[in-house]
Amino acid sequence: MIKIVKRDQPSKAIFFFTPVLAIFLTLVAGGLIFFILGFKPFEALKFFFIIPIADTYGFSELLLKATPLCLIAIGLSFCFKSNNWNIGAEGQLTFGAIVSGGVALLFYEQEGFYILPIVILAGAIGGMLYASIPAILKTYFNTNEILVSLMLVYVSKLILDYLVVGPWSNPEGFNFPETRQFSDSAKLPLLFEGLRIHAGIFLALAAVVISWFVFYKTYLGFQMKVSGFSLKTAKYAGYKGKKMIILVFLISGACAGLAGVGEITGPIGQLHREISPDYGFTAIIVAFLGRLHPVGIIFASLVVAITYLGAETAQIFMQIPKYTGQVFQGMILFFLLASDYLLFFKIKFIGSKQ
Amino acid sequence: MNTNLKISNVTKIYPGCVANDNVSLEFNSGKIYALLGENGAGKSTLVKILSGVIIPDEGKIYLNENNLNLNSPSDAKKNDIGMVFQHFNLFETLSVFENLIIDSDEQRESLREKIDLIMKKYNFPIDLDIPVLNLSAGQKQKVEIIRCLIRNPKVLIMDEPTSVLTEQETSELFLSLKKFSEEGILIIYITHKLKEVMQLCDEVAVMRRGKLVSVSEIKNENIESLANKMVGQNLKTIKKKKAKTSSDQLIKITNLNFTSEDPFETNLMDINFSVNRGECLGIAGISGNGQSELFQVLSGEIISEKKSIEFNNNYIGDLNPQERREYLMAFSPEDRLEQAAIPQMKIFENVALNNFKSSNFFNNGLINENKIKEHSKKIISDFNVNTDNIELKSQFLSGGNLQKLIIGRELITSPDLLICFNPTWGLDVGAINYIHETLIKINEQNKSIILISTDTDELLKLSDKISVIHKGKLSKIMNAEEVTSEKLGILMGGAN
Repeated sequence: MIKIVKRDQPSKAIFFFTPVLAIFLTLVAGGLIFFILGFKPFEALKFFFIIPIADTYGFSELLLKATPLCLIAIGLSFCFKSNNWNIGAEGQLTFGAIVSGGVALLFYEQEGFYILPIVILAGAIGGMLYASIPAILKTYFNTNEILVSLMLVYVSKLILDYLVVGPWSNPEGFNFPETRQFSDSAKLPLLFEGLRIHAGIFLALAAVVISWFVFYKTYLGFQMKVSGFSLKTAKYAGYKGKKMIILVFLISGACAGLAGVGEITGPIGQLHREISPDYGFTAIIVAFLGRLHPVGIIFASLVVAITYLGAETAQIFMQIPKYTGQVFQGMILFFLLASDYLLFFKIKFIGSKQ
Repeated sequence: MNTNLKISNVTKIYPGCVANDNVSLEFNSGKIYALLGENGAGKSTLVKILSGVIIPDEGKIYLNENNLNLNSPSDAKKNDIGMVFQHFNLFETLSVFENLIIDSDEQRESLREKIDLIMKKYNFPIDLDIPVLNLSAGQKQKVEIIRCLIRNPKVLIMDEPTSVLTEQETSELFLSLKKFSEEGILIIYITHKLKEVMQLCDEVAVMRRGKLVSVSEIKNENIESLANKMVGQNLKTIKKKKAKTSSDQLIKITNLNFTSEDPFETNLMDINFSVNRGECLGIAGISGNGQSELFQVLSGEIISEKKSIEFNNNYIGDLNPQERREYLMAFSPEDRLEQAAIPQMKIFENVALNNFKSSNFFNNGLINENKIKEHSKKIISDFNVNTDNIELKSQFLSGGNLQKLIIGRELITSPDLLICFNPTWGLDVGAINYIHETLIKINEQNKSIILISTDTDELLKLSDKISVIHKGKLSKIMNAEEVTSEKLGILMGGAN
C-alpha cells in the first residue's frame, strides 16, 4: 500500500533535487512524445539536447540564448521572492528595447565610446519605467499586478509594431517593418571572431553576483523580502513597504530592459517586430527551475536555452515544428510544480495489512 | 416529529494527524448540543463530515435510522442538514435576496414570500434588496441562517457562530436558536467558549486531539470541569499581586485624534490617558470599536501629531514603529500570522523584525546573521518556545509557541512599555497561562503594559487600571478593583 504522509518540514535535499527530477521526467516524457510521433526516442533526444551544443558555435549559441533568460530571471527572482507576481517581463524587455533602440537610432550616423553606455542605460530605464506601471497601480490602487503586467506585454509589442512600421521604419528599407541598422558604436562588442556571443553575458553575470549579495546579505534585501510577504508586517517593523514593492519591480524591469538591449544591440543590431522569442515569459520558468537562487538560475537558464536550440535543430533535421521547444519548456514547468509536491509530502510504502 | 442523528465510528486521518479518531455520538431533536474543544481538537472536521464537505475514511452517519451518503454539501442539504460556517459564504456585491436564491430551485416569488414569513416569525429585520457588503456581521449571519431555514432543515449546525458577533447580537442569536430548538430543529453548536455552552446548551460533547472525551448534561457540569476536560490538565489560577502603586508617569496621551479615510475603520476621538511605571492599563471593548486603530496609533503604524504622545519625557507622536523602539517601546499586534510574524520566514528572520540600533542585527546595511541567530536562541530558551531549530519556518510553530516567540522578541530588549493587542487570542490554556504569567512578571519588574483585549476575564486578571473603548472613545479610567465584568459590559455597550 502506498501512503502519502505530510512532512513536518520541507526537506532541504528535496528542495534542490526536484528541479533535477523535473528535468529527468521532462526527458522521459519528451522521449515518449518522440516515440509516439514515430521517431527513435534516444536519437531524437540527442538531436534535441546534444547535437545543438556539440561544437563551439553551438555552445556559444547556448550562452547567447541563456544570457537574456538569466538576466530576466534574476530580476524576476526579486519580485517572486517578495511575492510580487510580475508576469510582464516580456513587455519590460520590449519597452526597454524600444527606448534603447530609439536612443541608438538617434546616434545612427555617429561613432563614439560614449554611445553604448547611453544606449544600455536607456534600456534599463525603459524597462524600469514600464515595470513601474504595475508597481504603482498595485501599491496605490490595489490592482492585481499579474493582470496589469501581463496585459502591458501586448501594449508594448503593439507600440513596437507601430514604431517599426511607422515613424521609425528605415527610410531606405523598402517598407520592411524594421529600423535602420545601429552604428557599430551602439552595438555590444562580440567576444570571439565568428561567434555571435557578445558582451551582454557580463551584464548577466554581474546581475547574478549583485542580486545574490543584495538579497542575502543586505538590510535592503531583508526589507524587500518582508514587504513582499506582508505589507502589514513591514509597516509594523517600520519599513517603507510600498517603496519596497516598487523597488523590486524597478529592479526586475531594469533587468528585463537590459535583456532587451542585449538582443537589439547584440545579435539583431536594429529594431524589428520579433526581437524576443518570448524570453520574458520563458524566464519565469527559468526563475522557478533555478529555485529563485542566483546560482540555480544560471544552471536553469542553460537548460532552458537548450530547448530553444534543440527546437531549431529538430526542425531542420527531423522536420518537427520548432514549437516543440515550447512543449519542452511547458513540460519542465509542469513536472517542477508536480514534483514540488514532494517538498511537503513524502510517499511511504507500507506492507499490506491483512 | 423527532429527529435522531447518529454518528457511528467516524475516523478521518490527514497526513500527519488524526483529526477524528473513532468518534460516535447521538443527537435527538428538542435539545441544543454543544460540541466543545480547543482549536485543532477535531470539531470542525466532524461537522464538515456532517455537512458533506469532507468524506470520512471510516464510519457512518444515520439520520432517523437511514444511512446517509454525504459526498458533497448538496447531499447534506438534500438530507435536511443545514450548516452555518464560521466564515460566511456570501457574495458581498450581490443583494441579500440574490444570495438567498442562488442555490435554490424554487420560484422567485414564492421564495420571497417564504423568506418574508421566516423573517417575520423570527424577527430578523433585514432589507432583502441591499448588497450584502452593507450588512453587519450579525446580519450576514442571519442571512446564512435564513438560507438554511428556507429548506426546512431537520438539523442546523452552527460553527463558532459568535466569534464575529457583539454581545447584543450573541444574545439575539441565542434566543433564535432556542426558538428553533423548540420547533423541533436539532441544533449542534460548535464552540470553544465555555460560557456560551453553559448559557445555551442542554448537552455537551467534549473533544480533545481528535477523540471524543465525554458526553454529559450541562446541569452536571460547570466551567472549570469543562475546561479541564477540554485541555486535559488542571487549570492553574493565577492571581496578580497588588502592584506597588507608582506615580512615576511613563506615557501620556493628550488629545489624540485619528480620522480614517477607510469607511470600515473607526475614528478615534479625543483620546487621553496616561500610564505609570509598573502599571498595566487594560483597554476593554467589543472588537471593532477602535482597538486596532488605537494599537496602530500607539505603535506608530499610524503617525499622529508629535505632541499627542509623550513617552519618557519625549514627544514621539510622529515617529514610526522602528524609531519608537529606540525609546524602549515594544509592540505585540493582534494578528500573529499576518502582522507580528511572517509564517514563511524562518524563526531567526522573524526575530530580526524587531530591529533596534543596539541589537546590531544590521551593520552598515548588511545583515549580521550570527548576531540575529545568537539572539534568537536566547529568546527560544528564555521564553520556552518549543523548538531548538531557529532555521525552522515559523509557520511550523503552533499558535502558542509563535506568540511566545513574538512576546519574547519584543521583551528581550527589556522595554519600558509593552503594548499588546489580544495576546492570547485563539491560544490553548497552557499557552494562555504562560503569556499571563509573563505579563505579570513584566509589571513586577516595574515595566508598564498597555493591554488592549476583547477578553474581559483576561483584563480583570491582569490590569491595574481599566478603560473601555466604544466607538473610538475611551471611558474614564477606573481602578481594576472597583470594576466588575457586569460594569464593563455596560460600558462596552455604550452606556455611561
